[in-house]
Amino acid sequence: MTPDMCAILGAFTCPIDIPTNPASMLWMFPLLLSISIVYKATKMRVLFARKFAKEVAILFGTISAFMVFLGVVLILMVKLLIE
Amino acid sequence: MTTTKSKVDHGLLLIVVGLAAWAVPGGGHFIIKERKRGIIIFVTVALTFLAGLYIGSIAVVDRVGAKPWYAAQIMTSPVVGLIANKVEMSVAEDNKPKYVSYGKSHDVGQIYTSVAGMLNLLCIISAVYMTWCGRGEMIGAEEDDT
Repeated sequence: MTPDMCAILGAFTCPIDIPTNPASMLWMFPLLLSISIVYKATKMRVLFARKFAKEVAILFGTISAFMVFLGVVLILMVKLLIE
Repeated sequence: MTTTKSKVDHGLLLIVVGLAAWAVPGGGHFIIKERKRGIIIFVTVALTFLAGLYIGSIAVVDRVGAKPWYAAQIMTSPVVGLIANKVEMSVAEDNKPKYVSYGKSHDVGQIYTSVAGMLNLLCIISAVYMTWCGRGEMIGAEEDDT
């Protein structure tokens, strides 16, 4: 096995460092993109590249906006309960 | 007689498509000639799963300590079972597990790999449903002509 291959495989054997802070919430966006792509790939009757990209972008934007809205609501609720 | 045979063939095709979709993400769609769909699904599901493994290490696949998560992860592909085997069997020199995952990266990795599995389950159902509707014969054929 080549050293490059060993390095690549080795990267999968120890976790990367993700600090527990609000910025770690950004990890949800790639996941939301995956969900949008797969959902639209299964739902659209015929796949046209431009229409597919547009539909994915709309769904990704909608889910992202809703998640951010939900986050803000939860932060406000916690603040109200604490203060 | 011919109708019975064609019903059996169709049932067999549904099973083959379902198994192919589980074995390789997007494989079911590929069999029914929905190639673009198959490629998109394969790339997305595989990247999501690999991202999860990279973030939390292969130790996020834990069939002993995290059974519900494992149930979701195994839907990605039977290969996940081999990874689980590897993780379970690997022991370091001091008798402790060789691969460990912890903290936020463990959570994020587990979520990524499990969501990849759930997405593939959606694709398995989609491929089987399309086969049941005869989509592979209709739209796939058009795709082949172009």
